Amino acid sequence: MNDLATWLEEGYPQSVRTAYLILGNRLDAEDAVQEAFLRAWKFRDSLSKETSIKPWLYRVVVNTCNSKLRQEIPHRDRRESDDDLSDTPAADDMPSRLAICDGVLRALSDLPPHLRVVVVLRYYADLSEREIAVAIGRKPGTVKSRLNEARRRLSQHPDLQPDISHRGELKEISG
Amino acid sequence: MTMIDEELLTTALHAEADQFEVSADARSRLLDQIAGTEVRGTRPTTFVGSRRGRSLVGAAAALIVALAIAVPLRNQESPAPHAALRNPEKIVRGEKYAPSTGALAITGSGFALTATGAAADHSTAEQATAGTAQKIESNGTVALVVVHGQVADAITTLTKLATGDGGLVDSTSAHGGTGSAERFSSGTVVLQVPQSSFARLVAQVQRVGHATSVTTNSNNVTAQYVDLQARIHALEVSRAEYLVIMTRATTISAILAVQNQVNQLQSQIEQYQGELKVLNNETTYAALTVNLSAKGHHSSTHHRRTGFAKAWHDSVAGFIDGFEWLLRLAGPLLFAAILLGALYALARLARRSFVRRRL
Repeated sequence: MNDLATWLEEGYPQSVRTAYLILGNRLDAEDAVQEAFLRAWKFRDSLSKETSIKPWLYRVVVNTCNSKLRQEIPHRDRRESDDDLSDTPAADDMPSRLAICDGVLRALSDLPPHLRVVVVLRYYADLSEREIAVAIGRKPGTVKSRLNEARRRLSQHPDLQPDISHRGELKEISG
Repeated sequence: MTMIDEELLTTALHAEADQFEVSADARSRLLDQIAGTEVRGTRPTTFVGSRRGRSLVGAAAALIVALAIAVPLRNQESPAPHAALRNPEKIVRGEKYAPSTGALAITGSGFALTATGAAADHSTAEQATAGTAQKIESNGTVALVVVHGQVADAITTLTKLATGDGGLVDSTSAHGGTGSAERFSSGTVVLQVPQSSFARLVAQVQRVGHATSVTTNSNNVTAQYVDLQARIHALEVSRAEYLVIMTRATTISAILAVQNQVNQLQSQIEQYQGELKVLNNETTYAALTVNLSAKGHHSSTHHRRTGFAKAWHDSVAGFIDGFEWLLRLAGPLLFAAILLGALYALARLARRSFVRRRL
């Protein structure tokens, strides 16, 4: 249980950012993670010794995000905020980087939630396919097929079509 | 198929997410909340997850298994005859009651007489039935298997049982003997006991040996009894009226005609009184026929086994008995296993669903 407490404390920022990428909104992300962490703590008995904490906790976070996407967000207007995915204001000094990021993020937000979740868990949270399977409660094969489908859709997205010529710039910037 | 570059995707996601400054306040608030939950000790557990819940579920499962095994076995060991004994009032209706409602008509020279109200009225009989104690005649048959060589002893025991209950032995017979009483291989005893002791006698008789079949039959003859009484009463009334008429008769022919009717009535009255007496006896005593046979004896063939043959026979019989016992036990066990399996699957499903919903 001490491991869980430690993870809750240390994993909070990454969980919030993961939720942000899934939900596309900072306030919703913070709400979701708050709720998820409380649930995780409340039902920590269901965490068996054999189960790894990280995917289990992501499962709670993903379920909470899915619940919000299903129940709350569709029934209200989008939060008024300037920090939604793909709405990040452009900066004059880094047009290329922002153009690429915007393109990727817009394409991500256009993905259906079940594909978006696996992309975020794989490429941001850095979970393995097996861990993602635990996190979304599906088989690893399902995860693999969803990842393939998501990448195929992303590659066909209009915002990512022209060229990937900015790739080098982006690596330079982020590296 | 074209795929987006994974490195590009990773970089873009990190670049976007890293811009998000996570509120330190929110994190500390959350941790405070968690700490508060811990302090309050509101550590929720599911009912099944708690120790008490597990104990209760275990007890319920054990009870189900015990019932699943015990009830069918009990039913197998107490077949239909016992059910009949538990319900001694099982009535088999007797012959249909169809009282005569005809009137007596006497035709003589010079006068005619119709005796009205002399016949038993059906409604009168029904009313009388309601006011009369139930008249039940019972009989039964029990087939008993006793230890070889103890047929005579069993007959003695049965005799004691009957006489002890205020009854009597109607008849006895024993067969298959070789001159010695110990060698009887079968026998029949007919016992008669008061009606009130019949059920007890049947139960006691079954304990004398191993009962292989028990048949009991009860017949409610109250209506028949009351009908006979009513007919007798009606005929007696008629006879009294004829006797009055006879005193007024002035001619020989008229006297003879009335006398003839009185004789007929008297004959009928005596016939009904006889029937009533028989019925009374039958309802006072119940008859139980006990067919005895020695273990291993077959009525069609008489094999006296000794030595290895007997040992082999006993061994085979024991094997069959054991196999039968196993088969009898297998059914309830299988049922219990299926039931527990289903309950377990349901409980797992419910628990998973519960946890998923909560998470």
